[in-house]
Amino acid sequence: MSAPAVETRDLVVRYGDFTAVDHISFSVAPGEVFGFLGANGAGKTTTIRVLCGLLRPSAGFVRVAGRGYEDGERAIKAKVGYMSQRFTLYNDLTVAENLDFIAGLRKLDPGYYARRRRELLELISFQKGLDARVQDLSGGTKQQVSLAAALLHDPEIVFLDEPTAGVTPAGRERFWRLIRLVAGQGKTVFVTTHYMDEAEQCGRIGLMRDGRLVALDSPAGLKKSVFPEPVFEFDPLRSLSSSELSAYAAHEAFAFFESYGPRFHAAAAGPEAWARWAPELEKVFRIRPIAPSLEDVFVRVVEGRP
Amino acid sequence: MINRTLAAFIKKELLQALRDPRMKFILFVAPIVQMTLFGVALSNEVKNIRLAARFDAKDMVMRQVYDRAIQGGWFVPARAAGAGTDDPFELIRSNRADAVLVPPPGGFTRALGRGGAPLQLLIDATDVNQAQAVEAYLRAIIQDVLKDDAGLAPPAPTIRLDVRVLFNPSLNTSLFMVPGVMTMLMVLTTLVLTQIAIVREKELGTFEMLISAPVSKAEVIFGKTLPYVIIGMANLPLLLLVAVFVFHVPIRGSLAALVLATLVFVCTTVAMGTLISTFCANQQQASMGGFLFIFPAIMFSGIIFPIENMPASLHWLSFIDPLAHYLTLLRNIMLKGGDARTLAWHIGVLAVLAIASGVASFRRFHTTLS
Repeated sequence: MSAPAVETRDLVVRYGDFTAVDHISFSVAPGEVFGFLGANGAGKTTTIRVLCGLLRPSAGFVRVAGRGYEDGERAIKAKVGYMSQRFTLYNDLTVAENLDFIAGLRKLDPGYYARRRRELLELISFQKGLDARVQDLSGGTKQQVSLAAALLHDPEIVFLDEPTAGVTPAGRERFWRLIRLVAGQGKTVFVTTHYMDEAEQCGRIGLMRDGRLVALDSPAGLKKSVFPEPVFEFDPLRSLSSSELSAYAAHEAFAFFESYGPRFHAAAAGPEAWARWAPELEKVFRIRPIAPSLEDVFVRVVEGRP
Repeated sequence: MINRTLAAFIKKELLQALRDPRMKFILFVAPIVQMTLFGVALSNEVKNIRLAARFDAKDMVMRQVYDRAIQGGWFVPARAAGAGTDDPFELIRSNRADAVLVPPPGGFTRALGRGGAPLQLLIDATDVNQAQAVEAYLRAIIQDVLKDDAGLAPPAPTIRLDVRVLFNPSLNTSLFMVPGVMTMLMVLTTLVLTQIAIVREKELGTFEMLISAPVSKAEVIFGKTLPYVIIGMANLPLLLLVAVFVFHVPIRGSLAALVLATLVFVCTTVAMGTLISTFCANQQQASMGGFLFIFPAIMFSGIIFPIENMPASLHWLSFIDPLAHYLTLLRNIMLKGGDARTLAWHIGVLAVLAIASGVASFRRFHTTLS
């Protein structure tokens, strides 16, 4: 097995008294599409910044593309591409001027840059002219050009921090097609997202909560490990009062009970309790067994009771 | 020295600065307009002083003093006194006159004949500079009247100074003010633009993209500042054209010295702008920081108030004020022809200030986040 593309052991980042990243350890294999999920402020962006060479960790071991902070942060920066969740392009410059600037920043050879730019614009099937101002591009196109900019120096690993925030569903789909293309070229893609359909497309997902990595597995594996008990959809036969609802949420029959649109998803607490309560519950709900969704996993692990 | 990263930076900054039409206006039109306006309007010559004098028609000497004052061009008659203005104090209090001459009872002419002549002068000293000028003007006028017209010896035959005004013989205030206005405009453009350029990247988040590339601290700092040194220098010919052709300010010294002094000054202000922006997270803070610097920098520079008038314990503030040195350099080179030792000293101090703020920004600047 080849060396991992990304590896951390007991990574800690503290801002004064606040611990943003709390002893997280994981590794990502080369060519993997690795997703990072968590509420805002859970420490995803901070972790990514460390892995991009932008933020020295307070403690712990970090190895990215075979480089660590002991080699100097510039050694890491040279090996990775980074697309932050904020603007990575200058709105008042054209696409060509933006890419020229980044090529200059990274001191790319002019011949190589010309070739690579053509290649990447083809990859993202860029239709607009190179002298279109970035401010005139749609949100989706802007993100695709940002991705091209992050890939300009042909990094081994590319970090995408919420790359599809504020992009239309069609734009998100196009962007994920690009992610698969990039991964197909052997690059490691490290991506954060708030969209479950996007997370579903990752090879593995890390779930972060309050600076800790609370779960790490493939989407299917996560569903299995987070919901070992059977999961049901509860469709209420009559409208329920809020006091009834909170009673069900704390009911001893359930290990998990969350609203899901007009219905509810619930996991049984145990076979005995379930057998005891099922007849009673069937008077109020139409119950059918379902496979848990990634959203259920997220709600239970990231937002649920600690 | 200029590597690819730096060249890319300079190109990008200039593109951004010159693309925006408003920015172009701020950079190249506003300085010319301001220079012209300020050069005309800013003057510490006291003019249009409203003078009132109450005297009897037969009081000849008093009339001569008043007429000569009005003819001299500095004074204008205070508006026709209405009811209730008999009180000279009231004239000044109600802001109908800036100065009031009050002859002794029985008239100034008669009092002079008696030997003693207490002529009372009331001056509105809410503007101290103006009050001093008014006193000096009227003292001179009265002495002239006594000597020439009344044929009397001046009250106190004191030593007369034979004043020779050097370098600005016509006491033309624009000669004095234009270098000051040039200094202020130069610092405004370079310092503020540098700050905006740096802080805007932080605010938009593009700074994070920038430092995610393996760039060195020096590349980022020089990349963000050199373009503004270039823009500042591009302003110099514009301002000089206005100075020479609109205000007829001479350039008696060497143009090369002027360019060198300006280059060192612009480097200093750009370095200080960089230092200030390392303390600012957003553009509001940056403009606040800019004001906190520029305001005292103008006050202690000697542009408006002579440094000699400040308490000696505060002179060090002028010493670390780059504007004070550049102002001296401009006045020295343009009006006096430039004395090598003076130039070397002030350019040297500016260079030290530039290096000190450069080193400080360098230490505060990081290519990682914290």
